[in-house]
Amino acid sequence: MLRAALAAALVSVGAIVSVPIGPVPVTLQILVLAVIVLLLSPGEAFAATALYVALGAIGLPVFSGASGGVGVLLGPTGGFLLGFLAGAPAGAWVRRRVGLWLPGRPTLADVAGVCLLVAISYGLGWARLAAVTGMGATAAFGVGIAPFLLPDAVKVAGAIVVARAARRAGLGEPVEGAPAIPSA
Amino acid sequence: MALGQYHKADSVLHRMDPRFKLVIAVVYMLVIFLANDAAGLVLVLAFLGVAVSLSGVPARLLVSGLRPVLVLVVFTFVVNLVFIRSGEPVVDIGPVSVTTGGLSTALFMATRLLALFVATALLGFTTSSVDLADGMEGLLAPFERFGVPAHELSMILSIALRFIPILTMEKDRIMRAQSARGADFETGNVITRFRAILPVLTPLFMSAFRHAEDLSTAMESRCYHGKEGRTRVKVLRPAARDWYAVAALALLGAALVALRTGAL
Repeated sequence: MLRAALAAALVSVGAIVSVPIGPVPVTLQILVLAVIVLLLSPGEAFAATALYVALGAIGLPVFSGASGGVGVLLGPTGGFLLGFLAGAPAGAWVRRRVGLWLPGRPTLADVAGVCLLVAISYGLGWARLAAVTGMGATAAFGVGIAPFLLPDAVKVAGAIVVARAARRAGLGEPVEGAPAIPSA
Repeated sequence: MALGQYHKADSVLHRMDPRFKLVIAVVYMLVIFLANDAAGLVLVLAFLGVAVSLSGVPARLLVSGLRPVLVLVVFTFVVNLVFIRSGEPVVDIGPVSVTTGGLSTALFMATRLLALFVATALLGFTTSSVDLADGMEGLLAPFERFGVPAHELSMILSIALRFIPILTMEKDRIMRAQSARGADFETGNVITRFRAILPVLTPLFMSAFRHAEDLSTAMESRCYHGKEGRTRVKVLRPAARDWYAVAALALLGAALVALRTGAL
């Protein structure tokens, strides 16, 4: 439970802290969420994401761009946040399943998990954006999805790197087929 | 860090019961969507205007708090302006044409969105995070009999709140420590900089997990055992002002429904 609380705080930090890379500020929100999918159990992943969304919903500026509030959640881009809520536990669950099903291929399991997270978030986000702003599905894809595809792919790949390093340090759920972690 | 936009003041809105404030804010944001014409929108804005004037939050602060979402409002405005084609054309420059229908819809949508954001910001400005967590717990308490762990939820909510600044501080410290050892976060192209960030995140996750362990040990050793028998410094009790606010909101809702159905 406390792990989930701290993880939610981490997502908030990731979303607030925009790293000045290039002209557009880049937030680490999706990266931290992906690491959560990779390291926590489905239940914990859900709790952490739900807590993050709740923090934002009661008006704390923890969503990207230091915004917050039910307004954002109900607004045009709220679908992405709801997508995280559904996607994080689903991703963690799939990561665990694939890991059991194909032992010895932890990377494959990780990729499947984070892809599901991103896919669910994009799916809900896209539908919501198109519905709320009244623009067509194609226009919504153009402004809401297309510009983020590549950066998000890079961030998610970064998340896998971080999660692996963290696993080597003994964090997160045990992975089938991964080298045994020496106990401290 | 400017987390928690809380503006310390002593106003009617500040003194309101956080449970009422939360419910009123959420219901207001839903009620906004009942307005479907200019008259309705004026009522919605009037309610918000009264709330702002009662809040004691300086207008300057409110405006600066809205700056991050301004992009979204402008974006909504432009999209509606360009994509909606009804009524008389106003401007016609090549492929872009603006019609009266587009203009009024764009204004309506943008104003409605702005009202949503102002309402949220107002809640944040007038309610401290402790009050918010207390309010959440109070609101969830009736659901405890259905197995909703209200007290626990509010507890982890305040823990998460507490740790946001701490983790931000730790992130800065890790970055400084790595800079001191030669890490470079400021030069190179997008990919190089991004790669420089990754080694910061691993220790950050480690420390977050360690904090969680430490905290649970600390709580257990202080005999924290959940809600039973725990007392509070501040006991929430609704006052007359809370019920006035509820009445005002109910009136707004009724007026908007009347406008919609054509009874007014």
